[in-house]
Amino acid sequence: MSLLPRLAQRQLRTQLRTTEWRALLLATWVAIALTTLLAVLGDRLERGLLRESAALLGADLVLSSSRPITPERLGQIDLSDTRHTQVIQFPSMVGQGDELMLVSVRVLKSPYPLRGELVTEPAGQDAIPGPGEVWAEPRVMTQLGLEPGDPLEFGYAKLTLTHRLLASPDRGSGFRSFSPHILVNHADLEASGVLAEGSRADYRLLIAGNSERIRQLEQQLRPTLADHERLHALQADQPLTGNALGTALRYLKLTALIALLLSAMTIVLALRRFALGQHTRSALLLNLGLKPGQLVRLYLYQLLMAWAVTAILGFVTGYLLQAAVYQWLADLLPQSLPAAGWLRWLTGPALGLALLVLLGLPPILQLARIPVAHLLRGDPPPRDRTAILLQGCSALLLIITLLTFLQAPAAALSLLLFLLIGGALFGWLAQWALIASAKPLARRLLLGRLLLMRLRQQRQWHRLQAAVVVMLLTLLSVIWISRSDLLLQWQAQFPSDTPNYFVINIQPWEREALDQFLAEQSLETELYPMIRGRFTELNGAPVQPQLNEEQQSHNTLRRELNLSWSSERPEHNPLQAGEWWTADNSEPLISIEREMAQELGLGIGDRLGFDVGGVPVEGRISNIREVVWTSFRPNFYIIFSPGALEGAPSTWITSFHLPPERQQVSRQLLQQFPSLTLIDIDQLLSQLSQWLKRLADSSALILALSLGCGLMLLGVTLLQALEQRRFESALLQTLGVTAEQARRLDLLEFLLIGLVCGVLASISAEAVLASLHMYLLQIDPRLHPLLWFSLPPLAALLFVLIGLLIRRPLRLDQCYRLLRSG
Amino acid sequence: MQHLDSGKPIIEAHDVAKSFNTQAGKVELFTGLSLSVEAGESLAIIGRSGAGKSTLLSLLAGLDTPTSGHVLFAGQSLDQLDDPARADIRLRHLSFIFQSFHLLPELDALDNVRLPLEIQGAADAEQQARHWLQEVGLGARMDHYPSQLSGGEQQRVAIARAFATRPSVLFADEPTGNLDDETGHQIIEQLFTLNASQGTTLILITHDLELARRCRRRLHLHAGRLEEVAE
Repeated sequence: MSLLPRLAQRQLRTQLRTTEWRALLLATWVAIALTTLLAVLGDRLERGLLRESAALLGADLVLSSSRPITPERLGQIDLSDTRHTQVIQFPSMVGQGDELMLVSVRVLKSPYPLRGELVTEPAGQDAIPGPGEVWAEPRVMTQLGLEPGDPLEFGYAKLTLTHRLLASPDRGSGFRSFSPHILVNHADLEASGVLAEGSRADYRLLIAGNSERIRQLEQQLRPTLADHERLHALQADQPLTGNALGTALRYLKLTALIALLLSAMTIVLALRRFALGQHTRSALLLNLGLKPGQLVRLYLYQLLMAWAVTAILGFVTGYLLQAAVYQWLADLLPQSLPAAGWLRWLTGPALGLALLVLLGLPPILQLARIPVAHLLRGDPPPRDRTAILLQGCSALLLIITLLTFLQAPAAALSLLLFLLIGGALFGWLAQWALIASAKPLARRLLLGRLLLMRLRQQRQWHRLQAAVVVMLLTLLSVIWISRSDLLLQWQAQFPSDTPNYFVINIQPWEREALDQFLAEQSLETELYPMIRGRFTELNGAPVQPQLNEEQQSHNTLRRELNLSWSSERPEHNPLQAGEWWTADNSEPLISIEREMAQELGLGIGDRLGFDVGGVPVEGRISNIREVVWTSFRPNFYIIFSPGALEGAPSTWITSFHLPPERQQVSRQLLQQFPSLTLIDIDQLLSQLSQWLKRLADSSALILALSLGCGLMLLGVTLLQALEQRRFESALLQTLGVTAEQARRLDLLEFLLIGLVCGVLASISAEAVLASLHMYLLQIDPRLHPLLWFSLPPLAALLFVLIGLLIRRPLRLDQCYRLLRSG
Repeated sequence: MQHLDSGKPIIEAHDVAKSFNTQAGKVELFTGLSLSVEAGESLAIIGRSGAGKSTLLSLLAGLDTPTSGHVLFAGQSLDQLDDPARADIRLRHLSFIFQSFHLLPELDALDNVRLPLEIQGAADAEQQARHWLQEVGLGARMDHYPSQLSGGEQQRVAIARAFATRPSVLFADEPTGNLDDETGHQIIEQLFTLNASQGTTLILITHDLELARRCRRRLHLHAGRLEEVAE
């Protein structure tokens, strides 16, 4: 081995015993492990969803519509040189015996899928379920206790479960993509009676062909899309966009940003401390004839060797972590995932290398500029514009690297700013609180006065330590509490008779019979018609040009609205302004929801025009209603007076409350009206909460690693202050303070800063939880006493333990030597 | 390494001044300072702490540049050379011995001595290093690390390292400052013996008059001026 690598190896071996190198290696290790975890898991998810080329969509191009795709519409699309098929997807309750379950139903025609494949057990010779058959995902079979060969009721039809569905493309988007799925043949749809005109469903036209043809078709189709239509093209670069798993992955990556930043900070501080200790060595090596370039290479070799060690460790840890997280999420994932591409395995080590080189170069280049006269007079390296420029460039490059890895620059940048601003605020608050709380001690204790002096002296380090610990404890507590608590609290706020079942897709001819059934069961409920229409005109002119830019992108203008009509004001919608119409009214009048009116600047007397299935309908606003969207009752932005909408195709909607002991009523309801869609809100929420819990657990795992990084950073910052602390301690001991008093002074400082951080973290966690309660869930905030009892002692314990670990006691003879050495 | 002709000035300082800017204003360490050191000569610079001895040594060794005036090495003005050229002169002609030894802790005695030879690209680095360690009486302790050696032994390794590259000029900055009297005495003996046998120019900084007396010339740095000290 030539001189430089050999010397680098020797240097590294000796320096591995120092705390700064251990912290640097640990931080790099964690960063590599986390990056490997996320890159590999992300790639496996993407590949899983992209398997067999376009498996996510099940096609190359998908036209999705909330209305049936009519033969006329099909006629407008040039489908020559393509393969195509249609799919209908909707939520439904299916059952076996007394057990009912909310599933997402896909109704298929051959050929299906156009891309990817259905993986079933037994492996099917058939491409799709035959007439009379149903294929179900394992979750459905487990919950309903089904085995292949068992019957399954689907609307009026009785189907036979023949295959377990292990993997399938074309799962749709949003919530329906992670609801359990069943597949049925299109031939059984009519017999089941579950869909009729106006029913809520996603109608999809799947198209596959060569890429040039698909590109042409996409260009032709885009300008012709109606409001109720969406076009999904396969985006090979971002196949997870808009998918629940993609959202989850992005969320986990953002969580990881915290750990990566903390690792980067640990590396910066460790390298800074390391570089400070290298001044004499660098000056000596330069004096012995080493050229500055060779010195840079020497230290780069050392960093590379450190990187090689951490890359292997981080890689292995990342592999184990991704296997663990995969197991954790396995039953929520759509299918067994293929292995990740080999390049993704290199992401972690590559990011680790970028971190070390980008953060390591500035101090190393500074070392190469140290004057040899340092050996004689202790001259430091020059701190000039070059040094500052270099540090700025490397910080910028590092941020760009991290943002590239996270693939969500805007979100990551906002989080970065939030962390920086939050950190600065808490750092400042902690410093203020520390000094304020030490003042009373200073009046009573000798140590108290020394403590106050030290707190003033060490305030920079305290600010940094407090910022890191408070932010981390806040995030961990919020995630920990919200993982189980938030949804439960949200549900608990509702009165016990809050509806827990929605019934949709009620056909007009079923309405009376259903009304009667519900009355017989003494279920208090009201049925509302539901008609789809688009808000197009205001006071006789097109609405868009009359609104400002923000209003133009309002939710109610971008999609079709569910309109309704009623002679009575809904009991749960109090009037804010105007009068409800009388029974003898004949003019088309409108009752509008308060927020919509406010945000679009609409008032009583304004005339609103709607496009209802191609037919224009107009009405005048006569009153403004308050709507509580979380009431779990049918709620509408727009309610017309009777008469105006009555000719339009409609379905009806209602909701009711069933106490747990009367669950069999839902079963009877479906037996009597198999074509209705019954949505069990408890099941819906439990599916959602299960998903959120796993996500929270995964992010808690990442945050726990972040806490590890934070503690490392804490160690390094304590170490930074140690030399100064040792000198001060030596001076105090020489002046007559005992070693025990010096130890107590240190412990008192650690204890106090820990308590302050714990209290601040409790306050900020409560603030975050309270704002989640108020703005997200719109419920009253409440205090979490557990936080106040656990966080301060926990934080104090962390500080004391790490402090004791880092602190080395000083004997009196050492004190004198230390002071003599200056 | 090449030796320059003895009898001719190897280092000259002409009208050298050095000042520093501090928060309190400009501090003049010395002005109008001149001296000439002949090849093969031994020179002691003495003076009180803070007189500027180490700064003067830095200037003479080309580690620092004067505020005004010139320092010449073998007739060549150092301030007209760039950093690499000055580093090259250090590599080929100069060596240093420091008060605090400055050995690399992770290298054993042999490797510490071998290091500058390897940097110079010497083919027989190890052989030469062994020779010099034998010369300073550490033949039996070549594989010992600095932490396993006494202060005197560490300074002897530093002396071996300094002579190993056969420098023209050896700068020694308080070489006995960290040693007890007896060890210091032994070290000085060794230093002067080697210096005599190698014909090296020695520039020694010390406040130990006893030590200074062993040099052929002594200069006293006081209040920014250099004065020749008589026997």
